[in-house]
Amino acid sequence: MGEVPYMQALTDRFYLNFIKDDRWKYLTNGLKTTLLVTLGAVAIGILIGFLVAIVRSTYEKTKKLKILNVICNIYLTVLRGTPVVVQLLIIYFVIFGSVSINKTLVAILAFGLNSGAYVAEIIRSGIMSIDNGQFEAGRSLGFNYPQTMIYIILPQALKNVLPALANEFIVLLKETSVAGYIALEDLTKGGDIIRSRTYDAFMPLIAVAIIYLVMVVTFSKLVNLLERRLRSSER
Amino acid sequence: MSANEALIKVVDLKKAFTGVHALNGVSTEIKKGEVVFVVGPSGSGKSTFLRCLNRLEDPSGGHIYFDGVDLMDQKVNINTHRQKMGMVFQHFNLFPHMTILKNMTLAPMKLQGVSKADAEAEAIKLLKRVGLGDRANAYPSQLSGGQKQRVAIVRALCMKPEVLLFDEPTSALDPEMVGEVLSVMRELANEHMTMVVVTHEMGFAREVADRILFMADGQILEEGKPDEFFAHPKNDRLKAFLSKVI
Repeated sequence: MGEVPYMQALTDRFYLNFIKDDRWKYLTNGLKTTLLVTLGAVAIGILIGFLVAIVRSTYEKTKKLKILNVICNIYLTVLRGTPVVVQLLIIYFVIFGSVSINKTLVAILAFGLNSGAYVAEIIRSGIMSIDNGQFEAGRSLGFNYPQTMIYIILPQALKNVLPALANEFIVLLKETSVAGYIALEDLTKGGDIIRSRTYDAFMPLIAVAIIYLVMVVTFSKLVNLLERRLRSSER
Repeated sequence: MSANEALIKVVDLKKAFTGVHALNGVSTEIKKGEVVFVVGPSGSGKSTFLRCLNRLEDPSGGHIYFDGVDLMDQKVNINTHRQKMGMVFQHFNLFPHMTILKNMTLAPMKLQGVSKADAEAEAIKLLKRVGLGDRANAYPSQLSGGQKQRVAIVRALCMKPEVLLFDEPTSALDPEMVGEVLSVMRELANEHMTMVVVTHEMGFAREVADRILFMADGQILEEGKPDEFFAHPKNDRLKAFLSKVI
C-alpha cells in the first residue's frame, strides 16, 4: 500500500495550494479578470480592425481616403512591430503614468489596440479576397459603396476569415497572460501569487495551464460548430 | 417620352487606357425599345463602352445622356440612375451568400422601398417566367451556369430598369446552356425592352438586333440593320472580322 502516502502528499499539496486561506480565489478572481480583459480587448480589436480594414481596402479599391490610409498604415506598422508587453508598459507607465487609472482598463486598451492591428489585416484580406464582380454587381444594381460593403462584401468576407479571426482571439486570450507586468492580477498572476505563498510551483501553474487549455479548446469547438453552420447554408 | 426619342445618347465618349480596351471618341444613340448589339474583335473596347454607360468604368471624356441627364456631370448621383440601368455580367455575379429570392429582392427592398411581400411576389413571377419558379430558395452554387445567368437577368429586371446592359452574357457558359439564356433575351427583345448587348453570338445578333455596332480600336467603324450589316459590310475591318467569325 505504498500509494497511500503518495496520495496523501498530493491531497496535502492540493489543500495547501487551493483550499487553505481560500487560495482558489486567486484563480477564480484571476480568471474573471482574464476573461474581462480578453472580452474588452476583442470588442475594441474588432471595432478598430473593422474601421482600419474598411479604410485600407477602400483606398486600395478606389484611391480615396488617402490621409486616413497613411494613418492606418502607421498604426499597423507600430503596433505589429513592437512587442505587446512593451506597448502595455508604455500605455500604463508613460501615457497614463501621471494619472491613477484602473489597471484592467489599461490592459483592455493595450490588448485591444494591439489586437486591432491584426484583426484589421485579417478582415482586409477577407475583403480583398472577394471577387470584384461582386462589387460591380452591387454597384450596378444602384447600391452605393457603403451599402455594397454592408450587404454584399462584408458578409462573404467575414465568413471567409472566420477561422483566422477565431485564431486571433485565441492568441489574444493567451497573450493577456503578460498583464502581470503592470501588476494586474489576471489568471496567470493569480497562479503565480499562490506559488509565491506556498513555494509550490507545480500545482498552481499546472492548474493555470489547464484552465487556459479548457477555454481555448471550448472556444475552438464553438467556432468549428459555427463555421459548419455557415457553410451548410450554402450547400 | 415618345418611342423615337433617344433613351441613351453618347457623345464623343473617351476612355484612356494604356494599350487595348481604350475608347477613342464613341458617339451613338440608343432609342427606347431598341435592341442594339455591339460586336467586334477582342480588345476593341466594346465591353469598356458598355461598362462606361453606367459608369462602372469611369470615362475620361465625353457625355452620356440618360433620360436627358448627363451622367458625366459630377453632381449627378450615379446610384439612382444605375437603378434604371440593369446589368448582366459574363460571370453572372450572383451573391453566393444569399438565396435566389434574396438575390432578387435585396435591391428593390433596400433601394426602392418595395415591401418584402411585393418584392417576393414580383421575383417569383419573374422566376416562373424563366422556368425557375421552383428554385427560389436555392443558393447560386446549386444552379447550373445557364440557370445562374437566367437568375442574373431577372435580378436586374426586379429593379424595373429602363435599359438592360449585357456584357457577353453567354461567353462563360457551356455550349448546351447558351440557348436557354438567349431565349430569355429573345423574349425580352420581343417585348421591346431596351437592350444593349455585347456578344460574340453573331447568329443571335442577326436574328434579334434592331441595329448592330461594329467596334474596333475604341471606335464605332460601322453600324446598321442586321441584314445590311451582314450582307453588305462596307468597312474593310468589318469585312475581315465577319469572314473570320461566320
